[in-house]
Amino acid sequence: MSATAETLEGRESRVRRLRTASVPYLLLVPAIVALAGVSLYPTIDGVQASLHKYRYALDVGYTGADNFVAIYNDAVFWTAMARTVQFTVCTVAIETLLGLLLALVVARELRFAGLIRVTLILPMTIAPVVVGVIWRLLYASDIGVVNPLFELFGFDAPNVLAHPLTAFLGLVAVDVWEWTPLLFLIILAGLQSLPQDPIEAARVDGASALQVFFHHTLPLLRPVLLVAVVLRTIDAVGTFDQIYVLTKGGPGTATQLISIYAYNTAFLFNQYGRAMAMLISLLACLLLLMAVAVHLMRRSSEIAE
Amino acid sequence: MTARERLGAVLVYLTLGGAILLALFPFWWMLVTSLKRPVDIFSGVALWPQQLTFGNYYRLFNEFHFGPFLLNSIIIVTASVGISLVIGTLAAYALARFRLRFGVRRGTLYLVLLVRMLPGILMCVPLYIALAKWGLLNTRLGLILIYAGLNTSFVVWMMQSFLEEIPRDIEEAAMVDGDSRLTALWRVVVPLAAPGLIATAIFTVIATYNDFILALTMTSTPAAQTIPVGVSTLIGKIEIQWGPMAAAGVVGALPIVIFALIVQRHFVRGLTFGAVK
Repeated sequence: MSATAETLEGRESRVRRLRTASVPYLLLVPAIVALAGVSLYPTIDGVQASLHKYRYALDVGYTGADNFVAIYNDAVFWTAMARTVQFTVCTVAIETLLGLLLALVVARELRFAGLIRVTLILPMTIAPVVVGVIWRLLYASDIGVVNPLFELFGFDAPNVLAHPLTAFLGLVAVDVWEWTPLLFLIILAGLQSLPQDPIEAARVDGASALQVFFHHTLPLLRPVLLVAVVLRTIDAVGTFDQIYVLTKGGPGTATQLISIYAYNTAFLFNQYGRAMAMLISLLACLLLLMAVAVHLMRRSSEIAE
Repeated sequence: MTARERLGAVLVYLTLGGAILLALFPFWWMLVTSLKRPVDIFSGVALWPQQLTFGNYYRLFNEFHFGPFLLNSIIIVTASVGISLVIGTLAAYALARFRLRFGVRRGTLYLVLLVRMLPGILMCVPLYIALAKWGLLNTRLGLILIYAGLNTSFVVWMMQSFLEEIPRDIEEAAMVDGDSRLTALWRVVVPLAAPGLIATAIFTVIATYNDFILALTMTSTPAAQTIPVGVSTLIGKIEIQWGPMAAAGVVGALPIVIFALIVQRHFVRGLTFGAVK
């Protein structure tokens, strides 16, 4: 009798312990379901779609690697890939250089720092669609500001969005307007948290400003710069909203990044399979970048600790 | 202050002044255009409305039926942010307070990062197929579920770092006094984490309210379309209505500008996912 009571008690405490031990895992369940539900689960559908043929938006069966073969033989796909690389390289390079230059000029404790930050974050806070609207208003040939501005300085009105090259550069300018402040703020925060001793020491030893910058400031700043550049690159590759609003990829294919082409392939031509093949190819490139990003973030948080 | 230092200071503030002017002028142009009469919009570069009018806003809501987009945005943002705050904070608490086994921590964090890094363009086709299977295309519920999942990533990441800053002793004291884990979390930890929670909430509101590509692909009528999609339908019209379009841009930007002012101190941390504080 008493022996049974003891085992019962033992079992109860074991159950209680098990219940306590499982609490943290139970707390994670809803989040994991939600996260997997918008990433892993649809990815399965997406990969499956890339191996199927679609006609008039209907799945007409398995086609193996046909979609991949088709896009690799599609000149428009490669043009879109090239545009994506050109756009990303141009925007990220200009934004980083401009942001670095601004941060170096300003590198000091600022008065009105809060006010300055507020104004500079506005372009990247508002919806990219609204950014598109704003620049449509500025670029517009009949009511805009950009054409009159060029004429004021004696140039021909460029009609930015009407010509292939200027349309591309016009979109780069929009991205630079939107995102340079982020690079500036990140680099400024980095500069202000740098250890001053090695820089002071170099200065005392008679190093020139340029030498100090290249031998001391830049290497110390590298972790911050890398994180900023990788994050910005990933976002720039996926740029869609502003282009959709401003040019829809035109004129011709001048501003058709892979994002626009894949979107059109899926939702204008209803070729989900082929669109998925493009996106999977893009993902392969991005995963490489993400691996770098995760690695860098982990390292920078270790340094912070 | 030497003359050289003073020159340096002048240079700094001139540079900043120029940058701020470049950042703000486009906003000003949109605002001014939205407050002009149609004839004035076409009468050259005027940096001030010749005659102030709210006609464009009136037309936006009456002629172009902008109201439903606003309503959809409010419902979808509120519901999805609410859901993600709850489930994200619970998960963040588990990550911040417990030693997890079987690689659960690492697995969860990788999932969180994966969801943050995947651009919308990459997920729009697979999510479209998934939503079609569930019969949730062109519904608010479909968008709420998607945004709740996406936002959870951000909430887990941010709240984990905020919760780690709160000392354990406080909730352990509450548990000695008879609270359970969850009531201690609710009564003691959450109030202490409130500033972080509010900043996180505002960031997720901004991201959800601003999203375009997912809302564009998952919806097709004003029954579920959000403000950014509504704005883009104005652009699609054969003859562009500059005045109402500018007004729509202002309506789309205004709530976000206000929120941005509130969280500006945390802004860089949020945008870089905590990589830069």
